[in-house]
Amino acid sequence: MIIDVIIALGKIAVVLLVGLGLGAYLTWVERKVAGHIQARMGPSVVGPFGLFQPIADGVKLLTKESIIPRGADVPVYYLALILALVPSLLIFSVIPFGPSFTIFGKEIKPIISDVNIGLLIVFAMGSIAVYGTIFAGWASNSKYAFIGSLRKAAVIVSYEVVLGFAVLGVILIAGSLSTVEIVNSQIEKGIWYIVYQPVAFILYLFCMLAESGRVPFDIQEAEAELVTGYNVEYGGMRFGLFPLAEWYLNVVGLSAIAVVLFFGGWSGPNIFGPLSPYIWFLVKTFALVFFTLWLHWTLPRFQAKDITDIAWKILLPIALLNVVVTAFVVYLFS
Amino acid sequence: MGIKKINRKAYLNLVETVLFLDFIKGLSVTIRNMIKKPITTQYPKEKLTPPKRFRGAHGHFVWDGTEPDSLKAIEKFMSYEKGKSRCVACYMCQTACPMPSLFRIEAVQLPDGRKKVVRFDMNLLNCLFCGLCVDACPVGCLTMTDIFELANYSRRDEVLNMERLEIHGKDFTARRGEEPDRIWPDDKERERLWGKIEWS
Repeated sequence: MIIDVIIALGKIAVVLLVGLGLGAYLTWVERKVAGHIQARMGPSVVGPFGLFQPIADGVKLLTKESIIPRGADVPVYYLALILALVPSLLIFSVIPFGPSFTIFGKEIKPIISDVNIGLLIVFAMGSIAVYGTIFAGWASNSKYAFIGSLRKAAVIVSYEVVLGFAVLGVILIAGSLSTVEIVNSQIEKGIWYIVYQPVAFILYLFCMLAESGRVPFDIQEAEAELVTGYNVEYGGMRFGLFPLAEWYLNVVGLSAIAVVLFFGGWSGPNIFGPLSPYIWFLVKTFALVFFTLWLHWTLPRFQAKDITDIAWKILLPIALLNVVVTAFVVYLFS
Repeated sequence: MGIKKINRKAYLNLVETVLFLDFIKGLSVTIRNMIKKPITTQYPKEKLTPPKRFRGAHGHFVWDGTEPDSLKAIEKFMSYEKGKSRCVACYMCQTACPMPSLFRIEAVQLPDGRKKVVRFDMNLLNCLFCGLCVDACPVGCLTMTDIFELANYSRRDEVLNMERLEIHGKDFTARRGEEPDRIWPDDKERERLWGKIEWS
């Protein structure tokens, strides 16, 4: 019993440290990618290839004075921070990083909690994360922040629906909501579900961009109109927390879920020895993360009305059609 | 892969919509940019060499034996020294200058009847670097160098006096004197930009 607790705590510690470290270092990756896409260098001064830039940024953010604006709703102002960060981290609790293995006669699953409603938790956390944004905008008593948070709310309300229906096809084929089961069923069938569900994958990509506030759906940031939107009244590390949670942790988490759903999780040829599944999982995840960054620095931003327009009028019918067709096919052929 | 221009009324056709062809075009542009070497010059660490005809800070060419023979004619009227400015205080530069208060030039007559330039100040805060003064100079003295880092801590330092002009001129001759006079960095670059010139 004690051992179980220790193992669980160990897994949580590993995921938390790796997740937050990755989140910090993705800022460096993003700035490098953005720089090279624009024929610039990106950070290159602090350390070799600018590798210590995230540390320098962290020190800067931590030592900065952070001001609470006059008229702010202080408890909600702080609650927004928690509600932004915690759901992004909780997504990682249902991500399976590899197959279960046995050590000292004890079976260990490289997943924090293998619950049978894993995907439901992901969507629930995605929905809760929007409260962080809305509270941040509301509590900071600034109209720019509030407009940003309202826009984000509109986007999330539209795209949560599409996301649910897009993933439903995969769930129908796999016959399970558990992330581990979905990966196992892909390995058993020997095929990635992107082959069966290409439309669902594209819908998922759209929703992933919308959920994580990436271009072309970043109207809640909209630097040109809203400064940076909902987090404009935050300072210091509190300011750094929102992009960390939304732009980096959310993107990594949702990319990992996409890999689980559509790219066979940790499956792949065994060419790296015993660590092969983990390496495959990370490679696939970061390929998707890179694709997200690549899209971010390529596309312009949609207008707010266009975004909800696309979600309700185009993506939702396609998603529904996809679900119906998949259901028929699954019913007839299995 | 050309970029298709559309207005808000012209929509993409069905194939382009379904296969995200416009997305793919945009993504291919950015990935090609990403593979390409950055065009950044890390400025304080590495500096581009401007072309020789660059219009930077001014300088005075000095009497160093390279002056044309025609200048020998004025030797008996001017008090000159080797290594000092060729200026004859003719005020041509001040006349050509669009800015009335930029130059302050003074000359005196020595007891032996020769002319000596005692002051040649240029207030670069007023200068627009048009180069008209350089064109006006009848003795090939005033020039413009490739020095472009002209920031200083006080306004007083922005005024070039004779010593600094001479230093600039000597420095410019030493570094770039041998180069052909041109506005492009090198001939290869010029051919790339404007093609080969066919002289008659």
